[in-house]
Amino acid sequence: MDVHLTLDTDTVEQVATFEQLCVDVGTTVRETLHAMKEKRRGAVLVCEGEKLAGIFTERDALKLMEPGANLDQAVGQVMTANPETIADSETVGDAIKKMSRGGYRRLPMVDPDGRPKGFVTVSSILHYLVGHFPAVVYNLPPNPHHSTQTREGA
Amino acid sequence: MIDCPFCGAENIPGIDDCEECGQPLSHINTGTHANNIERSLIKDRVAALAPKQPCTVSPDATVGQVLHEMATNRIGCVMIVDGGKPVGIFSERDALLKLNTEAASLSDHPISEFMTANPETLQDSAKIAFAVQRMDLGGYRHLPIVSSDDQLQGIISVRAILNYLTARMTSAS
Repeated sequence: MDVHLTLDTDTVEQVATFEQLCVDVGTTVRETLHAMKEKRRGAVLVCEGEKLAGIFTERDALKLMEPGANLDQAVGQVMTANPETIADSETVGDAIKKMSRGGYRRLPMVDPDGRPKGFVTVSSILHYLVGHFPAVVYNLPPNPHHSTQTREGA
Repeated sequence: MIDCPFCGAENIPGIDDCEECGQPLSHINTGTHANNIERSLIKDRVAALAPKQPCTVSPDATVGQVLHEMATNRIGCVMIVDGGKPVGIFSERDALLKLNTEAASLSDHPISEFMTANPETLQDSAKIAFAVQRMDLGGYRHLPIVSSDDQLQGIISVRAILNYLTARMTSAS
């Protein structure tokens, strides 16, 4: 099976997670953090109207956890504005390239009108790749240095 | 020859069980179907991924110190180490889920209250297939690598695995 071929033909829609969390640019950091905790999401899409304005990730959140940080400012002030995005028509290979070039862990996926549709994450790509060679990955013993004391039947 | 993924012994292709340890090998005997990536996954060891030196702290370091360290050095997780052994891991995700907006008021607490204790580890001599399996099934982003006597050697990230796989895929064609 040619794995390389599917990377160039499969679109990112096959690996994206669609259940994303969207907040408005005017939402406070405090509300955003609570929503991320409740929904267990490491990142939120920050929207202005229907368009994607930026993303706010757990990495950004870390900076706001130090004493004295203002949690009542709008998330629009502390988000990463105009993040690198991926169009829903691009391929998995494109996503991998963008991620490794920029060192990104996730890319917001947008439709042709700039409306956010979901996220493509490193973990979802890994899961997709593993699907191409399930036998070597999933048929493993519980631990790497597992050996039986005696040969079976002996 | 095929390498047994369990003990590393070389076996004659097509054999049902490993000559050395008796583990079943029929599932890797896919002959012509086994491609480069599959072969390297069960041949290469985790050490080949060049585990990075993690940022380490002791269990009684405070939340404030750890958060400051993570934010200023832009690191996603710290290892909590006691006598060289990894006893816990504290990641951005732990910060988000356990500290959240309370972080500032909890900054004097020891990190051991909030870390994920006894994280899953892997020996540096394990095959890369195990690292891929752990990351994919566990949904982990980091995997601490230990020596045979449980001393912390390094840490590998899901991104290192992805780079490894894509490098193999590109060269395979």
